[in-house]
Amino acid sequence: MRDDEPDGALVRRVLEGDTEAFAGLVARHRDRGLRFAASMLGDAAEAEEALQDAFVRAYRSLRTCRDPDRFGAWLLQILVNRCRTRGAGRRRRARLFVGDDGALERAAAPAGADPEWREEIDRALARLDPPQREAFLLKHVEGLDYEEMTRLTGARVPALKMRVKRACDRLRILLGEVPR
Amino acid sequence: MTGSADDPLIARIAEALRRPRAVRPGFEARVMAAVRAAPPRLPARAWAWLREPRVLAVSPLAGAAAAAVLAGIVIAGAWSATRLARAGGGAERAAAPTAGTAAVVRFVLAAPRARTVSLAGDFDGWDRSRLPMRREAAGIWTVDVPLAPGRYDYAFVVDGGRFVADPAAPPAVGDDFGRPTSVVTVGGGAARVAGGSL
Repeated sequence: MRDDEPDGALVRRVLEGDTEAFAGLVARHRDRGLRFAASMLGDAAEAEEALQDAFVRAYRSLRTCRDPDRFGAWLLQILVNRCRTRGAGRRRRARLFVGDDGALERAAAPAGADPEWREEIDRALARLDPPQREAFLLKHVEGLDYEEMTRLTGARVPALKMRVKRACDRLRILLGEVPR
Repeated sequence: MTGSADDPLIARIAEALRRPRAVRPGFEARVMAAVRAAPPRLPARAWAWLREPRVLAVSPLAGAAAAAVLAGIVIAGAWSATRLARAGGGAERAAAPTAGTAAVVRFVLAAPRARTVSLAGDFDGWDRSRLPMRREAAGIWTVDVPLAPGRYDYAFVVDGGRFVADPAAPPAVGDDFGRPTSVVTVGGGAARVAGGSL
């Protein structure tokens, strides 16, 4: 895969029978998908499972991707649904802070990360309602506008704005006193 | 544009969350192994043929017969799905999936007062506009969807905005958003009907 090969070209290659071209799409969209799923689910291993599931579903449904040049947005839509189905914010919360050391130990910590600050944020995210957490991540982390969020989530703009506002208000309360 | 620039705390949170997450080595290899093992997609021409709208010219007598058959399908679909639901875990009791084959599932909803009905599910990324349903006689809405074997969550979207679970199918579980959804399990080869009435 050439680094400058557009998503649409990779999608077309896969549809023409070059299954291995899908690896280019996986490599390109892995990090974004993983950060969304990890923040949404609060568990590194389950985030990987959700993302893998989303990639496989995307592959199987690739012919229905209406705009191959926007494969990333389409994949994110599938991933959002996979995270919903996995039920963000239930039993996994305890595993994140107690039993998931193995998965993280096997991977190098990202450069520039502040583990304690990230952990405080993860704790705060875990205390948001799943729809609020999802809306916050899509708006403030993924940088989507509300029209895109509506297409992706099925929720209407006023509802999404309210979810984002409540998420921000809650995060200010939960994280505003954390020394930095 | 993230909209967080006017709030330093929210901007700091977003910036931290944008940093790459740790990932176990071999993630791409695991995904590609799963992709290679995934059931093959429908050929392009088969997909296009299945999605192509058709107009059938029928005589009044034939039309009445077709309506009767359709009503029978709806009743049979509702009956079988209800039996599955009563049996507990209905979707799991459907025929075991056969890898490598696809089935055409007819989704049916009787909604005489609806202006539009579409189908959305995890098979199309919950896109409420991708699978519009056709209005047949007596307010019966249908759409045929080719699906690879597997378990799918779905819902009907009535009048463009209201998600409605299939009254005749087992409810899906695990949706944090309270959206009413149903489950259909597709086995290999055979055509299926999923549907009910409002």
